[in-house]
Amino acid sequence: MMDQKNFDWEGKTGLDLNQAKKILNLALSTGGDFADFFFEYRLSRSILMEEDLIKETSENISLGLGIRVIKKDRTGYAYTSEFSLDKIKSAALTAAAICQSGSVNRLPSRLRHLHLKKNVFTGRKPATLAALDRKIDLVKKAYHQALKYDPLIKKVQVVYGESIQEVWIVNSEGLSVKDTRPMTKLIAMAIAEKNGRLETGFYGGGGRIGLDYFADKLTAEEIGREAAREACLLLEATEAPAGEFPVVLAPGHSGVLVHEAVGHLLEADFIRKKTSVFSNSLGKKVASELINIYDDPTIPGFRGSYNVDDEGHVPEKTLLIDRGRVVDVLTDRLSARLLKKKENGHGRRQDYTCWPLPRMSNTYISSGEHSAEEIIRSVKKGLYVSRLSGGQVEDSGHFTFSITLGYLIEDGHLTRPVSQATLIGHSLDILKKVEMVGGDLDFGLQTGTCGKEGQEIPVSDGCPTLKIKSMTIGGTK
Amino acid sequence: MTGKATAGWRPLADRLINYGLKLGADEIEIAFSQSREFNVDVRLGQVENLVEADALYCSVRLFKDKRAVSFSSSDLQVSTLQQLLRNALKRAELTNPDEFSGLPAPSLFKIDFNSLKLHDAEIYRLKPKDQVKLALETERLALKDKRITNSLGASFTAYEMKTLLVNSLGFAGEYPQTYFSLSLGLQAGSGDNLVEDYWFSSRRFLSELARPEEVAQKAVERTVRQLHPRKIKTQKVPVVFEPLMTSWLLGFLFSCVSGTAVYQKASFLAGRLGEKIAGENITVVDDGLLPGKLGSRPFDAEGVPTQRTMVIEKGVLKNFLCNTYAARKLNLKPTGNGDGYGVVPNNFYLEPGPYRPEEIIRSVKKACT
Repeated sequence: MMDQKNFDWEGKTGLDLNQAKKILNLALSTGGDFADFFFEYRLSRSILMEEDLIKETSENISLGLGIRVIKKDRTGYAYTSEFSLDKIKSAALTAAAICQSGSVNRLPSRLRHLHLKKNVFTGRKPATLAALDRKIDLVKKAYHQALKYDPLIKKVQVVYGESIQEVWIVNSEGLSVKDTRPMTKLIAMAIAEKNGRLETGFYGGGGRIGLDYFADKLTAEEIGREAAREACLLLEATEAPAGEFPVVLAPGHSGVLVHEAVGHLLEADFIRKKTSVFSNSLGKKVASELINIYDDPTIPGFRGSYNVDDEGHVPEKTLLIDRGRVVDVLTDRLSARLLKKKENGHGRRQDYTCWPLPRMSNTYISSGEHSAEEIIRSVKKGLYVSRLSGGQVEDSGHFTFSITLGYLIEDGHLTRPVSQATLIGHSLDILKKVEMVGGDLDFGLQTGTCGKEGQEIPVSDGCPTLKIKSMTIGGTK
Repeated sequence: MTGKATAGWRPLADRLINYGLKLGADEIEIAFSQSREFNVDVRLGQVENLVEADALYCSVRLFKDKRAVSFSSSDLQVSTLQQLLRNALKRAELTNPDEFSGLPAPSLFKIDFNSLKLHDAEIYRLKPKDQVKLALETERLALKDKRITNSLGASFTAYEMKTLLVNSLGFAGEYPQTYFSLSLGLQAGSGDNLVEDYWFSSRRFLSELARPEEVAQKAVERTVRQLHPRKIKTQKVPVVFEPLMTSWLLGFLFSCVSGTAVYQKASFLAGRLGEKIAGENITVVDDGLLPGKLGSRPFDAEGVPTQRTMVIEKGVLKNFLCNTYAARKLNLKPTGNGDGYGVVPNNFYLEPGPYRPEEIIRSVKKACT
């Protein structure tokens, strides 16, 4: 029923290409410019360990289809988890209700099947095909490693998750494409306690990888140990200062700032609606010359990567900011048409219940020339930000981030650890204030998820060490 | 609602329970949900997106020798569900026994939901064009204000869900619910002074939903008040929270009184029942039985009846909110806050005090809001 090599879409849906074509013609019958199907089958499994027990395992199947009709900038959408012909036809007509008039387009007589040449999946085989006891073994290894790291560790939780998503996209331009997308992750959370104070550490890894990744790239033991190490380190952190200081962002984890404070504002729907503070910035300089920002869905093994986007477009590595100048935005089909720009394969959706939106994949600032040491040495008094947690950003560019862990910089050296501070700023402002860029590009944990308009999708982000001339820190001292 | 009502799923639920018990499961719980949504987004006077859909979902928990496993599926073919059930039993062999796991005690089961007012039959009479009109009107009214420079769009949503829960210890219950919402996001200013905010209304009954005028006016007010902010110095001052921010703060409190966080010792309130942890003027309640409220439901995801639970009474920590598992771990009673393996709030709120907002603001000489 599952796990077969070539997913049997025809068998599962009872539809052949010819019938799919007929139904898309029905979807276009009210005058739509474009229509597409998104069939999805997703098998997800998880394992939870806490209190020394493998407490629960779960398995989920999500199966359904979304059908979309576009007329100019308007979208009609319907979805169903039932695959009867009547149900699918009725969904097509529901989506078609977005238009009432106009000349009727029809599908080309021959459909073109797109064969994907590259595969971002790097594993020997998808983890969903491996035996359960191997995964339980990984979970236990991470768990016990965290627990024995230090007597201060009072509690550990480890979660393993895997999924395999099968998609079949057919559109009214005659394109048909199928893809298989495996994903795996292993995360550990450790709580350390000292004198009544509790701190939580977190670490994990994964991506479009197989179980071999946890032998070659990042071991379960390392994941457990790092979570525990962070929890213990946080116990030593003191209150952060408040005010305006030079800020040095650590490589890797600080990528979330690039994602939130720049990436979102370059998503083409916000640009075309002119709600993004960057809407009129195309071709203009918005950042320091030192800044180059890319979004690359083609990085092998990465969590944000895909072979084809959720509209059937093969993605490209996209240069968004070139030496401080905005040179491109992240487009899906609709926004590319409306902005008269090239599609760059960033139309993504959470699942069949959602229509595609312009989204990020793996977003990063590329490496510069300085060493991390030089950058830190250049700061007399400031803050080094190691780990950021939740943040929020508006289309207007205002953002706040919580600093989970940082260090004071005093006379060019990292001194005491601090936590419980907030980083406050505006995208336009900090981009201009970047003074130094390190040569040490790194990516954050391959466990991240990005939410937009209620749709959650896997992403990753990265950056090298960065020095920002001055930022507002909301602290307590 | 089109298609069969959830009651139609009862024979399938019974069949799966029998199948599972025959294969060696000790306890099984099956939930079916059937939902239907209509959503329209408008922006700058035009319909931008129109969604109509229905969804079916089945989720199952089962226990064998005190080992817990679960599965869920939107593919409701009997053969698929039976395969998932067999997989689950196989996984149970690799799961550790946990003496606290299992379904709630059958003595707890009782159902009374007619008084809860969770479902508005008006949803069947609502026409797509009326819903589009509500969204368009809300945005139109807001855009009349010259200080508003752009719209993030207005949305109207109508949602209906029917839930059926059956377990092998004799519980069977079902209830329908509806939900309507009207929302609007706006921008004002430009460049470095571009600001944005939103407002919304969400209710179980269409007649109780805020009118477009009210949503528009609130959204405008909240957006333009952010224009030309002054930068303040770092300082220690009294802070006044408006209700929306207070409920955000309550979210943090909830995560500390959730039985899960307490048995995990991840909460600073663990082991402090009966202690004074807040001022006399703080009383916090979770109530799943408030008629017509969004967090109300007759029973939780495990079939435990919902109730009114005093969480903090005049500053004293009275109760933790527990699902069956957390309750057993803490030797407390489940409070009808179960959500499968987790704990969720029903209607979790801070009891109002005697003051009007203006009085509170007037009482402060210098502060931040």
